[in-house]
Amino acid sequence: MSKDDITKIEVGDGAAIPSPDDKGLVSAWWVALIGTVGMLIALPVLKPDPYLTILKFVPDGIVVTFEVTILAIVFAIIIGLLTGLGRLSSNRFINMIASLYVEVVRGIPLLVQLFYIYFALGRIVRVPDIVAAVIAMAFCYGAYMGEVFRAGISSIDHGQTEASLSLGFDKKQTMAYVVLPQAWRTILPPVGNEFIALLKDTSLVSILAVADILRRGREYAAESFNYFETYTIIALIYLLITLLLSKLISAMEYRLSHYERR
Amino acid sequence: MNVVEPIIQIQNINKYFGAFHALKNVSLDIAPGDKIVVLGPSGSGKSTLLRTINKLETIDSGTIIVDGHDLTDPEEDINAIRMELGMVFQSFNLFRHLSVLDNLTLAPVKLKKMEKSQANDIALRLLDKVGLRDRAGHYPIQLSGGQQQRVAIARALAMEPKIMLFDEPTSALDPEMIGEVLDVMVTLAKEGMTMVVVTHEMGFAREVADQVVFMDQGAIVEQASPDVFFDNPQHQRSKLFLQQIL
Repeated sequence: MSKDDITKIEVGDGAAIPSPDDKGLVSAWWVALIGTVGMLIALPVLKPDPYLTILKFVPDGIVVTFEVTILAIVFAIIIGLLTGLGRLSSNRFINMIASLYVEVVRGIPLLVQLFYIYFALGRIVRVPDIVAAVIAMAFCYGAYMGEVFRAGISSIDHGQTEASLSLGFDKKQTMAYVVLPQAWRTILPPVGNEFIALLKDTSLVSILAVADILRRGREYAAESFNYFETYTIIALIYLLITLLLSKLISAMEYRLSHYERR
Repeated sequence: MNVVEPIIQIQNINKYFGAFHALKNVSLDIAPGDKIVVLGPSGSGKSTLLRTINKLETIDSGTIIVDGHDLTDPEEDINAIRMELGMVFQSFNLFRHLSVLDNLTLAPVKLKKMEKSQANDIALRLLDKVGLRDRAGHYPIQLSGGQQQRVAIARALAMEPKIMLFDEPTSALDPEMIGEVLDVMVTLAKEGMTMVVVTHEMGFAREVADQVVFMDQGAIVEQASPDVFFDNPQHQRSKLFLQQIL
């Protein structure tokens, strides 16, 4: 067992989270941030019509986007933890259920799942659009999160488990007191990536009549025909949010690794 | 030899890893207070034997009785039995996310429902004993290998076990750190702890062991007092082993 190399698991298509050691990415982050903020200020100042109007119209959607993202990620993490534990379970039935869920979800495009759950749910019970959207996003991302948890838990040296068992802890206590607190360290970066990916994917819920950023933009563009200008602002807003989030997550990751530093 | 009731009774156990016959009809009685040192070439099954005693390895046949509890009985609470058995690993296996102090107090607080303040007192006393009281607030990664292993011994002792199992406790250490760990083990032996030690440290075996158990190819070849084993081994394989290492 090597004590110095920390297992990194790379999952996802989210924005790259710059490590404090990675100078190239850190400077690219600054260039992107300054450019984005600069354009978000300069465009409305130089050409108030339509940019300033768009900027006043769209922010309602930011709140909705965050609502969907945060609710969906919370449920996805819960589902993911259960799925990850299920995939590692020695109980064959639980293992089968968890694996089946992951296989099914990974095999169907998110957009199709969104439509499917939205309309399937609509047949059973009448729920607000935003609830259907959250359920669909959490259901999909729970499977991806399950794989993140599974990888993170597997990455913890088996000696940790043996030491815990030999003290008299049972398997559940070992998971709760010894394995999961350490797995968090490995899991957080990919969870952060999934969070950012999920935030971007919430743009898909705009087709379910949920008034997120994109939906608000489309509403404005449909009235004013300023498609190019509207999508420019929307792209910049998404970019600004993901840039800030990636920085936040890398700071959290750094804090969580305190016991790995000499 | 002791005539008291053994605290560990291993009877005719067999263990397979797939087709590999890892333990062949092994039997061993250990009396309270005994110090048993298990020697043998790598792959001889000595670590596997040790790990069957706290059921980190299950056996395929035979019985193991620890302090009156039959490990092969599914009704027995293995977690309760493990609380009586301290284990020290080759790779230390300290909980990396916890400070030294918390490594020692986790099990007493969670399993014995001990007050944190009382657990801290006991932990600090044990850290004193292994000479690391000043490291209580450090994380394992901040300690040398020898220090980590001494903390690991203290962690096991914090549960006040009746028996201590050592699985090659010095094999992962730099030579200059072996002494500090062996010193702690010698002290423990002098205090009367029942110990089963798998090791390659012949000096320790000679000094501390009541009985040396020599294993080869999954079987116990010879069991003798250290004087007899080292000076006058009875079996050809024991002689060969001693020639190779001494």
